[in-house]
Amino acid sequence: MTQTADASTAVSRPEPAGPWRKEWLDVVRAASGGLLFGVPLLYTMEVWWTGSRSQPPAMALVVVLLLIPVFVLNQTGGFRETPDHRVRDAVADTVEAVALGLVVTTVVLVLLREITTQTPLAAALGKVVYESIPFCLGIGVARLFLHGDRDGDDGDDGDDGAGPGDGRNARDDRGTGDEDDDDDDDTGRSRGTLADLGATSLGAVFIALSIAPTDEVPTLASAMTPAWLLVVVGASLLVSYAIVFVAGFTNQDERHAHRGIFQRPLTETIVSYLLALVMSLLLLWCFQRGFEPWTDVVTRVVVLGLPAAVGGAAGRLAI
Amino acid sequence: MSNGRADDSANDSGADDDGRSVAEWTTFLASCVILATVLALIVVQMRGRQDPAAPAATIAGEARQVGGQFHVAVEVDNSGDRTAQNVQVTAELTHNGTTTSGDQTIDFLAGGESTNLVFVFDENPATGELTVTVSGYAEP
Repeated sequence: MTQTADASTAVSRPEPAGPWRKEWLDVVRAASGGLLFGVPLLYTMEVWWTGSRSQPPAMALVVVLLLIPVFVLNQTGGFRETPDHRVRDAVADTVEAVALGLVVTTVVLVLLREITTQTPLAAALGKVVYESIPFCLGIGVARLFLHGDRDGDDGDDGDDGAGPGDGRNARDDRGTGDEDDDDDDDTGRSRGTLADLGATSLGAVFIALSIAPTDEVPTLASAMTPAWLLVVVGASLLVSYAIVFVAGFTNQDERHAHRGIFQRPLTETIVSYLLALVMSLLLLWCFQRGFEPWTDVVTRVVVLGLPAAVGGAAGRLAI
Repeated sequence: MSNGRADDSANDSGADDDGRSVAEWTTFLASCVILATVLALIVVQMRGRQDPAAPAATIAGEARQVGGQFHVAVEVDNSGDRTAQNVQVTAELTHNGTTTSGDQTIDFLAGGESTNLVFVFDENPATGELTVTVSGYAEP
């Protein structure tokens, strides 16, 4: 029996997640959806300025108005495993989505040092409120974004006997033909790995392409210290892992048990992040964003690597 | 599944009659606290003073010699509550009867915010007369 066949048969259906684990997965999915949608706007200095110069009544109005589209999205999409058909569920999830959007936005703005201890409270509030708009909308459509996984599984066929995630094996099997043929199996896994690497590259370029030519990257990079840069690297890896291995509606146990060239969660996350950094470097070179001194290049690549990692993770979910 | 969370949650051990589990209620309550805190902070800002922007520039420390030039750090502080836009900062050094000046612009300076600039002169500011001023700004 081939390794691929083992993967599809040896992994049993997981026990239903407990309420706390289910809630945690929902929250991580929400945060991931927000990041997918909101990261590009975080690298837009005009939004920082808009937040800085906004008056409190405008901020309050934005928060209140934001509740409306998020409520509508929660009734059709949302971040839960199933959409909210009851109004009270949609209302509760709307409050949660906006609150989570504000929290995640704050964390990322602190990470990018756009909010520091020196930032006046009014300016920090303005930045958080305006930057959280796409985050909250992203949370509102998190289920739609992260519904399937890179298997092409739409997540609705969990009861069809095949189980979510089998598409991944099916993809691998496409190249195998005879299950007893180890060479074909290796070819199939290689194709799967290549598909993941390709999707990571394309996703990273898709998100980072619109950010790389802007002045925001050197501006943000100039505020980074070496220690803070390590925090950004850690956060990028964490976000990438969360989007692919926690937030997706997949059979998590099966995903974690899957064997491939790079497809152990930790290995895949690191390799994909390195690929996102390479794509960031290429984009910065392409747009002639300055390559001297080398320490600046590293800082800029890491700063651009955060959205690139988010894009790469989204790309792997998309195939 | 089609009936949404109520049906799903009913199977969860922590679900109540409303179909929400304790975990979901916890998230909801925490979210209410966060949202209320943000709105409260905005209201506090709303009720606070809204003085006009008042950016001012001061020399921050001694001039630092780099190569054959002198770098002077200048701190620009907006002591008002409103944001100042396109803050124009001018530094003038009079040395042996000759005046050298330089300008820098700060895109945005929020109320209560301060930022640092550096002006570079060929002459030593310690042996001349150096003045730094905010020559103008826009109200966004």
